[in-house]
Amino acid sequence: MRSIKTKILVAVVAVSLLKIVSCTPESCFEETLALLKASMYQSSQEENVAPTSLTLYGLNMEDDKIYDQTEGVKSALIPLNPYAESCTFVIGINSVTDTLIFWYTSFPHLISKECGYTFYHALDSLITTSNAIDTVIIRNRYVTTSDEENIRIYY
Amino acid sequence: MKRISVYIISLLVIIGYSGSEAGAQNQPPDTVIVPLKVRAGADIMGPVIYLIDRNNLNIEGYISVDMNARTGIFLGAGYSDYKYSQYNYEYLSRGYFVKAGVDFNLLKPDASKGKYWAGIGLRYGLSSFTSEIPFFEYDSYWGTTITTIPASSSMGHYLEVAPGFRAEIFNNFSMGWSVNIRALLHTGTGKDLRPIYFPGYGAGDESISFGINYFLSWNIPYKRIKVQIKQEEPEETEDTEGTEPAESAGSLFPPAEYP
Repeated sequence: MRSIKTKILVAVVAVSLLKIVSCTPESCFEETLALLKASMYQSSQEENVAPTSLTLYGLNMEDDKIYDQTEGVKSALIPLNPYAESCTFVIGINSVTDTLIFWYTSFPHLISKECGYTFYHALDSLITTSNAIDTVIIRNRYVTTSDEENIRIYY
Repeated sequence: MKRISVYIISLLVIIGYSGSEAGAQNQPPDTVIVPLKVRAGADIMGPVIYLIDRNNLNIEGYISVDMNARTGIFLGAGYSDYKYSQYNYEYLSRGYFVKAGVDFNLLKPDASKGKYWAGIGLRYGLSSFTSEIPFFEYDSYWGTTITTIPASSSMGHYLEVAPGFRAEIFNNFSMGWSVNIRALLHTGTGKDLRPIYFPGYGAGDESISFGINYFLSWNIPYKRIKVQIKQEEPEETEDTEGTEPAESAGSLFPPAEYP
């Protein structure tokens, strides 16, 4: 009986020692930006359908477009500014332009020791113009690095 | 790997020693006298690691009291000061921790004799610490910004399993080591700003952490107890099959007398 206990103890100690001195990965392989995920829905069909083209950029940042007449975007990734309480975007759906404003709070979040810190956001509210967009609904107010839908844009 | 080999060899030597010593007594006594001790020890692994890595200071000590030949009460405490930095952030954590629990000696009293300990410790740990991110760089569509997250105080809890070995090498002076396997209960910081490291536990972003201690201890005997030794049944072999089993060796001789 004692020999079984001893063997178990030796195994536990050996595995623990290996774990203590084993190398840990020093590179970051995780997503480090928390982007708002906006699914594009066609109002008439109630389906997640990519518009013919999508253009998106921050207000007064026309030279730095996130999407520029991009085709096949079923889910747009929108970066919020953690140092502001609101963000305004210009969105062009099939060459018809709308303005989308988000209000939110931002808070720091540890991704991992290797990747460091990022900012998560909690969406408070939003408003939009209605040129191409019918309506926008919030599905999940927490904007994180996970691949979860945050809003649906019906157009 | 060299360090692991040394540990494993010393482990096997201790096990072999205790086993062979017990086995060498052909006529084990019915009782043995075991001294119960109070121990006070200091960890030398933390200061040694600090000499190699100046960003990680861990000072730790303990007091344990034998309750009987196999069980003891353990109380440990320590201080930790940890720094980590990489290209996009810096992290600081410092604070104190206490651990309390029970140590179980798996060696039989006739093998341990109050001098050798090979067993397992079960402990609860409580850590009070402050953590701070003095530098944190964030790149996004809106530009690169550098910010800080100010120091905040937290209390973390964890459970620890600590198998290990200890031997008295001089009169009332022992050396020994343990590996520490810790399970995180609560970091006290919330899920967004989990501590990268917190005193007593280690990597706060992991639910299980590992550590090692090497203790030098001073032992003070405070009581001697007489412990009954259970005689093991002789194993039946094919040679003895069909013959009358031999009587227990302990029953043939009177118990050995101890001073």
